Amino acid sequence: MSGVGGLDRPGAPAGPGAWDERSQEWLAAETDPWESRADTPPSPGRQPAAPHTTGRRQPPARRTGADPVKALLHRHRDLCARAVDPLEIAAGLEAHGVTDRTAARFLHRDVFSLAEEMYARVPRDAATPSGRPPFTAPRARADWALLTLLPGALCAAAVTGLHLTHGHARLIVAAAGCLAVALALRAAMARGPLAATDRTRPPLTRTCWLIAYALLGDGLLSAAATGGPDALPTGTTDGPWPLATTPVLALALSCAPAAWCAHLLAVRARRKLSASRALEDFATSARPLLLGTFTLYVCALTALLTLTATALNEPAAYPQTLTLGALLLLSRLLTTHGFTHAPALVLTATATAEATALCTLFASRLPGCAWLATPVQALIDTWGPGSIPTAACGAGALTLLLHATRTLTRASAYARQDQPW
Amino acid sequence: MDNRPSRHRLVRIRSSRCEPPGQRRLPLREIGGVLVRIGLITEGGYPYVSGDARLWCDRLVRGLEQHEFAIYALSRSERQEDQGWVPLPPQVSRVRTAPLWTAEGDGAVYGRRARRRFDECYGELVAVLCAGGAAAASGAPEDPSASEADRFGNALYGLAELARDEGGLVGALRSESAVRALERACRARGALRTAREARVPDLLAVAAHLESALRPLSLDWYEDDGLGSVDLCHATSGGPAALPGLLARHFCGVPLLLTEYGVRLRAHYLAATDSSPAVRSLLAAFHGRLTAETYARAALITPGNGHARRWQERCGADRAKLRTVYPGMDAARFAEVGEAPECAGPDTLVWVGRVEPAKDLVSLLHAFAEVRKQEPKARLRIVGAPSDAEGAAYLGHCKALAAQLFPDEAEGPHRACDNPVSFEEIGGPEIPTLADAYASGGVAVLSSIVEGFPISLVEAMFCGRATVSTDVGAVVEAVGGTGLVVPPRNPRALAEACVALLRDPERRERLGAAARARALELFTVEQNVTAFHGIYLEIVSRTPVRRVALDQAGDPLPFAFPAEAHVPGRWTGRTARLVARGGPYRPTQAPVRATALPATEGAR
Repeated sequence: MSGVGGLDRPGAPAGPGAWDERSQEWLAAETDPWESRADTPPSPGRQPAAPHTTGRRQPPARRTGADPVKALLHRHRDLCARAVDPLEIAAGLEAHGVTDRTAARFLHRDVFSLAEEMYARVPRDAATPSGRPPFTAPRARADWALLTLLPGALCAAAVTGLHLTHGHARLIVAAAGCLAVALALRAAMARGPLAATDRTRPPLTRTCWLIAYALLGDGLLSAAATGGPDALPTGTTDGPWPLATTPVLALALSCAPAAWCAHLLAVRARRKLSASRALEDFATSARPLLLGTFTLYVCALTALLTLTATALNEPAAYPQTLTLGALLLLSRLLTTHGFTHAPALVLTATATAEATALCTLFASRLPGCAWLATPVQALIDTWGPGSIPTAACGAGALTLLLHATRTLTRASAYARQDQPW
Repeated sequence: MDNRPSRHRLVRIRSSRCEPPGQRRLPLREIGGVLVRIGLITEGGYPYVSGDARLWCDRLVRGLEQHEFAIYALSRSERQEDQGWVPLPPQVSRVRTAPLWTAEGDGAVYGRRARRRFDECYGELVAVLCAGGAAAASGAPEDPSASEADRFGNALYGLAELARDEGGLVGALRSESAVRALERACRARGALRTAREARVPDLLAVAAHLESALRPLSLDWYEDDGLGSVDLCHATSGGPAALPGLLARHFCGVPLLLTEYGVRLRAHYLAATDSSPAVRSLLAAFHGRLTAETYARAALITPGNGHARRWQERCGADRAKLRTVYPGMDAARFAEVGEAPECAGPDTLVWVGRVEPAKDLVSLLHAFAEVRKQEPKARLRIVGAPSDAEGAAYLGHCKALAAQLFPDEAEGPHRACDNPVSFEEIGGPEIPTLADAYASGGVAVLSSIVEGFPISLVEAMFCGRATVSTDVGAVVEAVGGTGLVVPPRNPRALAEACVALLRDPERRERLGAAARARALELFTVEQNVTAFHGIYLEIVSRTPVRRVALDQAGDPLPFAFPAEAHVPGRWTGRTARLVARGGPYRPTQAPVRATALPATEGAR
């Protein structure tokens, strides 16, 4: 600490005429305790002070030039180079113990004018080193990475259980499986890149309805078209109301790729954010990124669907599952980034469209209302029962994709994620 | 011979040995019993248990029981809210709180017209920020920065009006259009060089910071039943707490009193160090402009010490508005020690405070090593505890240094080993209270390199101890001539001053008595409360809130106030004549600029 003992004392001037008499006095008296007038009697501390000052510690002449501020500038060069404002230098100098009395030794009235001189004398042409980037890319973490595997695993277990059991046991397995998968989904979505912020409440019921339709809807629709259903679903794929477990299993398994895609999007977007200079630059570079991420997820879902269809030996309902997966991913991405309005609207519209299709089939059985079923029947006859959810989800996903290319390419969408994952 | 009544304010000279402070106050209800409704605006402060200046606010509110207080508190964190409030006295009529740490968008989506209004106001605001900083804001009134300040104020109030009319300002400030407006302003001609270099992350950071700084605009406090119903707003700090006061003044014409014990702008400069230059320059411009606007609109500004006062003057505060009000401290705790004639350890130096690197205990230890060379009997007690991990590490470092410099030594062959430097905490067996800590030493030492208002120094003064302190912050004006002041970071000077006092008990005693007298004169709670009482009455009399009088049916009552009531000051020219004769000064408002109020320092 003794090295900074003489911090604020520039030492004796070398050139003649650079200092006035007042500063000479300061120099002479600078190691003395500064006392004010009220304590008038001469202090005994002054007499022993003199021999010490000239004795050992003070070097005979400090080799400071005629410019005392230069040494100060050198000492506080980081502060001066960083400062955006003379006041910032003043605040920094004060924090280093420079007072108005110190400034008087530099021939300034106060710290502010000293800071102004220092601010003016620091060259600012060189590129100033920027501080740390304000956005640190989110790191992948084990907790959410493992949690996203949970729904798929539980769903696979439930499907296996359905295949292995019969009767009441199968019903219990089905109920427990639904509950377990729902809880696992909730846990997987609670943290990680797919987590919604505190402000946003994702539209849960509509999502559940869409998944339930993927599980039961096609069977119900084809049964209703042929006058059924005659019995409740038995949990098999060949009954009167067949269960489509393949799409649900594939969707549950695709939680992990969805989370990784969202993570990739966030990481890449932040990197681009740090690299881009104008908002337009970011928008143009973020658009291919978004579309690429989306395509990646769809590819992953297709692969998972093929895999599960092969494993379960069931037909893979590609169109409706892919469109539903795309819709859910996009709505989740939008919700995560704070855009809740459009996903809620589109999910409601999709769920309503599917429900309407079912309702019209049943309503057409009322006398005189047979015409109600005509459009749905025509669709089923032409493209099969899967065309209804495909059309509904496809339209929704397309709308959301268009919306996302506008909103998720904005820089402000990535600014509000304050929670580090 | 001038035999007119004295125009000096009645100053009651307080003796140091009168009743406890509770009974010392005059029954003000009978003398100047004007009821003033005060809107006390705090930020992370008073009613919360962990608030910043809660002791001061609590004493103020309890001391002015003849007035009515409405407390408007902005909380700083969720933890602070969870910890609850301090008990409130009955003169607090209402408490309204709002969180600053979170903002719920109310979901209002702007229509076309509101969006255009927002774009105009926000664009104007950021254009001013990009055009220059606080340094430009403090120039002379005729230069272009005055109109820039006007532009800033207009944009700010425009945003506040928009928030009041339409709501949804939080969402708009977070939206892409805000970031776009910022980008446009940064790329515009005449923008600051640092602002032109802003990249997208910088823009986002600035937009986010502006959003959080402008959160008080979205509050619903500016209605007639909120801040509109008080007679004056008292903002207890600058920055976010002053913003509601500014808006109350804009919307309801309520005068604003600003108290700053530490200048917020300075704290901001010290805090913002690790972001990019563009962000720092834009935010510095924002805070500088906001501070200048606050100083310009405030009816009176009360800095807590001369250091804050210099900063305020530098940032554009009118000297005529500044009244230094020193913080008050409870003198009763130290009365016994201060009155006691003898002191326990005449050879002991005592340091009391919170242990942190800014206190520069290392320098103190080195100084004490020099002291020991000249005064072998001297001892040093360091009384204090660290407040955080950094402080704890520093304390460990200091203890190691002390053990290195001063090995344990025994006075004789059969005595126990003892170290001349002891580290203690208040509440221990030897030092049960704070006053005992000061009582245990003959000289109180302060070795800080950074200090705002030196509380431990004033406590030592209350205890009647001679002090040696470093020349930082408000030390010189606090200690006056009643102690020795040495340059900071200079152990040799510190040591010489300590030795001088240790060797001269008579001088020590004289300085201690003077210190106690000075502290009792300037730094008591009563002084503080009385000063604020006078300032409240002064503001209320000079800038009364003009409200529309209503009759019984609730309709506006025309001619309820005579027209003269709206003319500021005495408009018949009496003041000018009286001033020409050197007559009594009457506080007046704008038209009498020739008689600018001389800045009164300290005595108020």
